[in-house]
Amino acid sequence: MKKYIIIALLFAGIIPAYAQEPAPKLYTLPSPFERYTHYQVTARYTGAIPLGSFSSNYIDKTSFENYSIALEWVLQNSFSIGGELGYSFFNKRIPRAIYPTTDGSDISAVQTRTLTQYPIQVFGNYRFLGNNSAIQPYVQVSAGASILDYTLYYGSLADQKRKVRPTYGIGLGSKFLFKKDGNFGADIRVKYEATPFDYEYVDKGVSSLNASIGLFYRWW
Amino acid sequence: MLKKASFLIISATFWLTSCTNDPVNDLSDLESQVYITNRDKTADFKTFKTFSITDSVIVVQDERSTTALTSLDKDLLTRIITNMQNLGYTYVAADKKPDVGLSAARVTNTYVNIASTPYSSYWGGYYGGYGYGYPSYYAYQTSESYWSISMLDLKNADTVNKKLNVIWDAQIRGSGLGNTGYIDEMVDSIFGQSNYLKIK
Repeated sequence: MKKYIIIALLFAGIIPAYAQEPAPKLYTLPSPFERYTHYQVTARYTGAIPLGSFSSNYIDKTSFENYSIALEWVLQNSFSIGGELGYSFFNKRIPRAIYPTTDGSDISAVQTRTLTQYPIQVFGNYRFLGNNSAIQPYVQVSAGASILDYTLYYGSLADQKRKVRPTYGIGLGSKFLFKKDGNFGADIRVKYEATPFDYEYVDKGVSSLNASIGLFYRWW
Repeated sequence: MLKKASFLIISATFWLTSCTNDPVNDLSDLESQVYITNRDKTADFKTFKTFSITDSVIVVQDERSTTALTSLDKDLLTRIITNMQNLGYTYVAADKKPDVGLSAARVTNTYVNIASTPYSSYWGGYYGGYGYGYPSYYAYQTSESYWSISMLDLKNADTVNKKLNVIWDAQIRGSGLGNTGYIDEMVDSIFGQSNYLKIK
């Protein structure tokens, strides 16, 4: 009996005491994403509008076959740095026409103009708001190299040129967290990208305005 | 952490590389065909009146050439005659001293340079062992089958070097070259894009 009384007293003492203690304020601590540098991976789908002489001389059709994946290191200040690997494919079909060549021959063919790029770039972002804000607008500059494939088909015959060329870009975008302190979010970005290149129809490089929508996952 | 990141980049490389597609696999046979014509800029076609054509088609394969006359070949030769007549030339027999001679070849070997192709001596035979003189710009490299049609200047044969100059040359490349249904369109196209041949 004595035992039970002791236990009852213990509970009587502890439980009220526990109830009176204020709950530990776990969320008064900043999120780990604010406290630590962290990582972010972003997969993007892009629509690309050709610009300049690339558009006027070779392909003026907007491309919807562009993808990329980026890995980013988000720093505690307003910056983040990372790398992005992409794939973009432009193409345009031109009905049969006769093309005179420099050697004097005439070629009659249906032309299929294509340009494929695999850009590999490092980038730096500057955020205008905190790295755990629900909306995180940023500006981006990037530079790297592109594996570039210019293939112009005359019917089923191809005139191909492959080269590795420097690539650079400047963009403006924003990240949107799906929930506060969450790991997932969306990324919208508009970016100008250019690659110097000179071959046949493309004499002043490949440039485009790229609008992308992406999904990111972040972790620390 | 870094290992994880490297893996992501590596997987992405494989994924992106596999996106490469074939942008011309939707072309029909006729759309895939390419018609290439060339000419000797010094030739004055208005000075020619008559023509003849080889009685068979030259088949060039692996640096060997033979002749053949399948129904496909007959269709091709007949259509060439029709087009030449429409341009204003008169068709005569080979032994009637035509001004120009035409020949057609089915080339099916790989990496052939037309200029060095051992063509039939059909027209050379009429001129006692004449060879064909292709200007350098007729040299195309290829790794596929194609039709080659040539026009030789028989009127102005180079008697010193025993050479017959090729004054017009056409190639038809692409898919469906053995389809009899496409012969008319193929032949009409090569003559259609060579308006300078017209003499009437």
